[in-house]
Amino acid sequence: MLAVYKKELRSYFTSMIGFVFIALFLVVVGIYFTSYNLVAGYANFDYVLQSIGLLFIILIPTVTMRMIAEETKSKTDQLLYTSPLTIEKIVLGKYLAVYTLFLIVVAIICFYPLILGQFGVIDYPLAYANIFGFALMGAAYMAIGMFISSTTENQMIAAVLSFLVFLITYLMSYIVQVVPGDHLSAWIIFSVVNLLIAVVLYTSLKNINVALIFAGVVEVILTVIYVIKPSFYDGAVVKFLNWFSLFERYKAFGLGIIDFGSVIYYLSLVFLFWFLTVQTIKKRRWN
Amino acid sequence: MIEVSNLVKQYGDHYAVDHLSFTVEEGEVLGFLVPNGAGKSTTMNIITGYISATEGTVTINGHDILDEPEEAKKCMGYLPEIPPVYPEMTVKEYLNFVAEIKGVKKEDRFDDVMNAMEMTKITNYQNRLIRHLSKGYRQRTGIAGAMIGNPDIIILDEPTVGLDPSQIIEVRDLIRSLAKDHTIILSSHIMQEISAVCDRVLIINKGKMIVNDSIKDLSKKMSGSNRLELKLKADAEEAKQMLLAIDEVESVDVVSKEDGIIDLHVYSQDTDVREKVFLACAATKTPIYGMSLIEMTLEEIFIKLIANMEKEKEEA
Repeated sequence: MLAVYKKELRSYFTSMIGFVFIALFLVVVGIYFTSYNLVAGYANFDYVLQSIGLLFIILIPTVTMRMIAEETKSKTDQLLYTSPLTIEKIVLGKYLAVYTLFLIVVAIICFYPLILGQFGVIDYPLAYANIFGFALMGAAYMAIGMFISSTTENQMIAAVLSFLVFLITYLMSYIVQVVPGDHLSAWIIFSVVNLLIAVVLYTSLKNINVALIFAGVVEVILTVIYVIKPSFYDGAVVKFLNWFSLFERYKAFGLGIIDFGSVIYYLSLVFLFWFLTVQTIKKRRWN
Repeated sequence: MIEVSNLVKQYGDHYAVDHLSFTVEEGEVLGFLVPNGAGKSTTMNIITGYISATEGTVTINGHDILDEPEEAKKCMGYLPEIPPVYPEMTVKEYLNFVAEIKGVKKEDRFDDVMNAMEMTKITNYQNRLIRHLSKGYRQRTGIAGAMIGNPDIIILDEPTVGLDPSQIIEVRDLIRSLAKDHTIILSSHIMQEISAVCDRVLIINKGKMIVNDSIKDLSKKMSGSNRLELKLKADAEEAKQMLLAIDEVESVDVVSKEDGIIDLHVYSQDTDVREKVFLACAATKTPIYGMSLIEMTLEEIFIKLIANMEKEKEEA
């Protein structure tokens, strides 16, 4: 695993991607830092990190798009997968390498509140809670980006797809506001989601029976709940959609709250997408 | 030792590998002789654990590739069709990386890498970026990678493709020297290559095994068309009569006549008729200018086998 980690990290810095990523990131943070903190004179560093969301979701795919797709395309994956290393370790090594890039950025950002501290009173716990949350959110997004990179061998597709998925999660807190709240709409929305899951099941397992049975059982449960206890659907859609809103969770850090649930949430996302990446690679071998 | 049994790889309705079974003994050099797109790389990829089979098992030195992948993969070095090299690394960095992922101990790594570079004659290129290497040197780097960790089994998928003639000879020599203490599977669609370095040949067409035989047995088996090239000083008709009088001779073709010297092709079934031909000529006092037994080349055998298979299919 260490070998893959070192190799990946080295390739980020020999191919310039690493430098470009770090530089761009620091430019983005630097611009906001200058305009909010230095020019406008706000003492809150958290304003900076809370504001760069959109640029953040553009920057992350630039490094995650190549993670698996590049090796699949150039067939160097044959070396890795026929070596005694397990796929779990290979993927972990790759993930840790890309996350190290992000941590370098985070480490540099850690100095910014100290700079501000030279000019006045800074709420350090708030600033660092924010940076901590930022590092966690980055970890989750990078894992998602890696997973998307494993589903295709075209880096551009991986980048665009990642950006779209990130954008949806970014806009989720706005989408949630326009979702209808009545029980019937909730039932319809959940049924559609159920159908989508069934389609995914079918395309990945190629087994129509499993997909149909799954969809049928879930649909029956949804309908029974709708008939017997419709109050279950109160706010259920919002709750459900908020699950996909990575930025919503990050906002709590902006208030200086380190919510244990959010920490677990981000870490489970990392684990989930690491697991899905491993499964995608394993599945490709069976096709 | 590699044991492949009942291997099937199915892509939809298409069988890339169709119930393939064979064994490679320790120290043996097995040649895969396969037309393009007949399931060669698929088979090799399954043996090395890159992809999984639909059915069947592969056992490497007693370790199943699916159940104990780590142990099985430790015994193998693999050079795929496209050498899996990283263009942004130097040759030495690359080989060190391969040594690391293959779990070569730190203290052995330097020697192992040096040895691999020496055997493939790339020591002078060790600090070059692979990006800047020619196809031939990339190929050698790939072969060096397969040798790292001194695995018992080395699997090479078309190792000489894209090399110039002198490099081809070098690579063949390298394979021969590796063959002394390694089990090797080698694939190629060039027949001379297989007959030059392999003990045994496996011919596959459309995922099915057609032949699994030693090179010698194979040409012998195909000797149904053993041909004797004969040069005599005699009258064509008389010579023909004389040769056909030998029981084993099936047919005689007169190829050319020149100044009383005739060239003949004598076809016989399964047996070597040189002695009888000599005695017959001696009895009739016919001078022999030349005589040689022509065994079928792998190329001819290959074409014939494929043609036979097609014919059988049509009849069926």
